[in-house]
Amino acid sequence: MQKNHYIQLDGVNKSFSKGRESVDILKSFNLSINQGEFVAIMGPSGLGKSTLLHLIGGLDEPCDGTIKIGDVTLSGLSESERTKWRAHHVGFVFQAHHLIPVLTAQKNVELPLILTKLSAKDRQKHGLAALELVDMKERCKHYPSELSGGQEQRVAIARAIVSDPNLLLCDEPTGNLDRKTADDILRLLAELNQQFNKTVIMVTHDPKAAEYATRVIQLEQYLSQNSDNRMADSGYN
Amino acid sequence: MGTINLIWRNSVRNKIRFALTLLSVAIAFFLYTAYSGINTALTASVTEANQLRLNSSHKVSLTRGLPVSYKQKMRSIEGVTSVSYASWFGGYVKDETQQISVFAVDHESYFQMHPEYALDAEQLTRWQKQQTGILVGQKLADNFGWKVGDKVPISTSIWMNRDGHFTWFFTVSAIFQGNSPSVNDNQAFFHHQYFDEARAFGRYEANWFIPQIDKTANAAKVSLDIDAFFENAVEPTRTSTEQVFKKEQTQQFADMAMILRLAVIAVFFTLLLIVCNTMMQVIRERRRETAIMKTSGFSSSYLIILLFLESLLLFGSGAFLGGLVGFIALDQLQYLFSDFLPGISLSPNLFIEMALMIALGAIISSVFPAITLAASSITSDLGTQS
Repeated sequence: MQKNHYIQLDGVNKSFSKGRESVDILKSFNLSINQGEFVAIMGPSGLGKSTLLHLIGGLDEPCDGTIKIGDVTLSGLSESERTKWRAHHVGFVFQAHHLIPVLTAQKNVELPLILTKLSAKDRQKHGLAALELVDMKERCKHYPSELSGGQEQRVAIARAIVSDPNLLLCDEPTGNLDRKTADDILRLLAELNQQFNKTVIMVTHDPKAAEYATRVIQLEQYLSQNSDNRMADSGYN
Repeated sequence: MGTINLIWRNSVRNKIRFALTLLSVAIAFFLYTAYSGINTALTASVTEANQLRLNSSHKVSLTRGLPVSYKQKMRSIEGVTSVSYASWFGGYVKDETQQISVFAVDHESYFQMHPEYALDAEQLTRWQKQQTGILVGQKLADNFGWKVGDKVPISTSIWMNRDGHFTWFFTVSAIFQGNSPSVNDNQAFFHHQYFDEARAFGRYEANWFIPQIDKTANAAKVSLDIDAFFENAVEPTRTSTEQVFKKEQTQQFADMAMILRLAVIAVFFTLLLIVCNTMMQVIRERRRETAIMKTSGFSSSYLIILLFLESLLLFGSGAFLGGLVGFIALDQLQYLFSDFLPGISLSPNLFIEMALMIALGAIISSVFPAITLAASSITSDLGTQS
């Protein structure tokens, strides 16, 4: 009997048009991830790591194949349905924090909650709680320009988790940070994974970062070894 | 952190750009308010003209007099129910910089045919009985502190009196107000009879006659009949309705208003381009932030509404500012132009018109940015596409 995975990609094809040519990024791609896993996806640039993350997060659509997250089949949803789904189920952390410069850390974190029915007071409470989780409560009134790179990334993580999503998608979250700050951020992601059972998928070039994951997928290897589309993950911890 | 707060923070993010754009919106709405106030005066003076009154002056020029004996002759023409007449006196108080509008009018008939001046019977009778009496408008009386019973000297650069002086003495008989804002109460009237008896030349002549007719439908026919009646006289006439006469008198202002109207249209068109360009810049600058908001679950339509509200805030605050300055300027214009163009005021429809222009401006200036925003791809805007 087939095990029910939290994330299931079956026969996913994705290609981009570059001028007159069509470049295949993912071809008949299959992947399964369980709830509560911390997966690191590694590989050289241009292989499709970020594209894979975008497909899982519903930011982009596959040309073919199905993507199922929990009970929802993303490939069957319209763009507005995917947008609504993202609001409740996914948090994104990018290499650049993309915080809104005219809002304080707290207001940046509260931003996704505007879409909920929470009162202003409750939004504030949730925002502060998320900032406390990332150890940034004391800096809640600071503007992004008054924070260090690591602190900005912590705020971006708080923004990603404020609506309590099951899935955290991180695209090079430590790419702009020094080693010590990067380790702090990675520890934080691991904590969120272990203590709150968040499923974390992280794209990274950094082997040290991958050490925090419970599973590492070397995408280049994964694609070549599994040309018959059978999953073969390489365990790393 | 609510939507309104987000809109406000985003609007004032680039303070200099916001201030400059706001200023251009304010200038456009200031011009519109000023234009609207002047246009109200122009249209009011024409549309409020009495439909039953005609105006008959010398065929050659308004400055040439017609004999006062024409009153009886005109009265005999079919369709004419009564006739009055008036002359321009000019006038200034103390020195020529303090010009005022003073008219000599037929004291028996003039005010019976001009109900727009608020005068009770007692005031009118008092003035009619006082040959050197003068009826003074409320604003004029307020300006010089004149009261009923005061003896006031009014000089003229045109009319020398029989004593060889250019200063005439009058007694204030009553003070009148206008029944509507377009009625000028910054003027004065005295007896034409006194004028004729006391002036050194041009005696028993009037600058224009006001024949009143029985029904408006007869206006054209009676006008032609009057002019035909005096066609071969030494002083022929040119007769038209009061509405046409006022239109001719205010033509210069009407031309100015037309130029102003065209200028306002041009300004608004330019303004739309400026605001549209500003909003496009805003969208380009916030490309990544917009993308991150989309990843957090904000739909394109929600972001377009935010953009529209930002544009609405810009137009609304600019309109408020421009309208306020326009209102203050109109107050000054009202005082300065009270002689030539009474009734400068804000039209009651102005607020509705401005509200529509604000909404329309916000919609039009948001269209192209909204299309850009809706068509943008999250992945390419984040710059992370592999």
